[in-house]
Amino acid sequence: MSKQVQSKEDKKMIRELFWYSFLLENSYNYERQQALGYAVGMWPAIKRFYPNKEDQADALVRHMQIFNTTPHLVSAITGVSVALEKEASQQDDFDKSTINSIKVSLMGPLAGIGDSFFWGTIRIIASALALPLSAQGSILGPIMFLIAFNVPHILIRYFGLKFGYNFGTSILTSANESGVFAKITKSATIVGLMVIGAMSAQMVKLQTVVSFNFEETVFNLQDYIDQIFPLLLPLLYTLFMFWLLKKKNKSSTFLLLITIAIGIIGAYVGIL
Amino acid sequence: MQAALLVGLVVAVVWFFEKMFGTPMVNRPIIIAPFVGLVLGDLKAGIIMGASLELVFMGAIQVGAAVPPDVLIGSALGTAFAILSGAGPEVAITLGLPIALLAQSLKVIIFIVRSSLMEPAVKMAENANIKGLFALNMFGLILQCAMYFGVAFVAVWFGSAAVETFVANIPATLMHGLEVAGKLLPAVGFALLLQPMMDGKNILYFILGFILIGYLELPILAVTVFGIILAFIIVFEVGQGASASVQEDELEGLFDE
Repeated sequence: MSKQVQSKEDKKMIRELFWYSFLLENSYNYERQQALGYAVGMWPAIKRFYPNKEDQADALVRHMQIFNTTPHLVSAITGVSVALEKEASQQDDFDKSTINSIKVSLMGPLAGIGDSFFWGTIRIIASALALPLSAQGSILGPIMFLIAFNVPHILIRYFGLKFGYNFGTSILTSANESGVFAKITKSATIVGLMVIGAMSAQMVKLQTVVSFNFEETVFNLQDYIDQIFPLLLPLLYTLFMFWLLKKKNKSSTFLLLITIAIGIIGAYVGIL
Repeated sequence: MQAALLVGLVVAVVWFFEKMFGTPMVNRPIIIAPFVGLVLGDLKAGIIMGASLELVFMGAIQVGAAVPPDVLIGSALGTAFAILSGAGPEVAITLGLPIALLAQSLKVIIFIVRSSLMEPAVKMAENANIKGLFALNMFGLILQCAMYFGVAFVAVWFGSAAVETFVANIPATLMHGLEVAGKLLPAVGFALLLQPMMDGKNILYFILGFILIGYLELPILAVTVFGIILAFIIVFEVGQGASASVQEDELEGLFDE
């Protein structure tokens, strides 16, 4: 099976598919979401497997169906679709509707992995590495961010495509059924949560300037808090925001306004 | 005029790259603010404002079809106004946030307009007109870039004078309050990020990450590696309890001898 990639034509097609896969979200819209980009992205395979124009049209229309997944991970699904299109072009009795049904059954789970992995984990780690540099005004900050995010991005995009094309049909679908996706998503969530926790500790800053006078001695409230649980106030505030969002269903705008209000009022009455 | 033109161009070009290269995150504040700083002649201020804005907008991400605040426009204009009026990151945040919220509807408009491109797209597909599809896909992107350019250009052109007088007249207490709020705002960003991920059970991992910094002051990378190992143990090792315990017994047997 892996021999397939060895042919020169296959290599060329993989390369083209890889470059076309970047265009997925050019025309993102409500009606069909990423469909146009997906159909364009399938072209290197369509033109190769279907010499006549009618079949090409059929395939393009097929891939104009609504589609949505994490853009960085789309190539794995493209790879599977390409493998299926290849089968379909070689067998007359191939039921072409399975191409879209497999596509649809993969886009959900892969979006689940992709969103927690790329948005919730890789991006957070990249920010965590870059922010201290940026905060000092170093140009290395933005550079570090782009490298830390895009090296894994490009590698996963490229090898996801190859993987999807070579083994995808069997492995990706069975992985979906056996719950491997759920395991990867859970791992990414654990790492993501820990890094977000660590970043909250570093970057959310809240200190009180409240102090009491007892017979000439000044007691600073913040010093006591620091002895028991350093950064207790930022932790409580972050969890308070989370609670408002999750349990009280407040909007992000409400959270922003209340935070700005707390900052201004706190500074005005002299406790922050 | 020149500043408005440059900021408009930066916004349009950055968005073009973002969608031509498969969402490489160049539209994040940490990248866009330095570019705005560069064209306005203060790269360093741009980088620093980028860091502050990135923290605040950390949770504003696009997942699925829900439209978050427009981080690109918010951070570009916030940075531009702050630099043009000679103010600091607090001002970039204070202005960037409401602008991002106001600009939220821009994407909605584009997503609706581009929905109307889908009918011609299907027609082109029916004729196997790949050149047409390719061009249409690009047209959708260029439409959005043009809109971003227009919005940023008009906002900087008409807005900077007003913002300058506004910033010059902010009282000192209010400014201090904004500073306090600016340091607190990342909490909102992190909360937004946590909302879809965290529940009553896995909140422990968040707190673990927090106290590794709070008590131990570990570097972030150490927390990350620790997290990866912990995730592996929990998800892949503990789940296979039966086979693991057999191996342990064998090992114990080895040590007994």
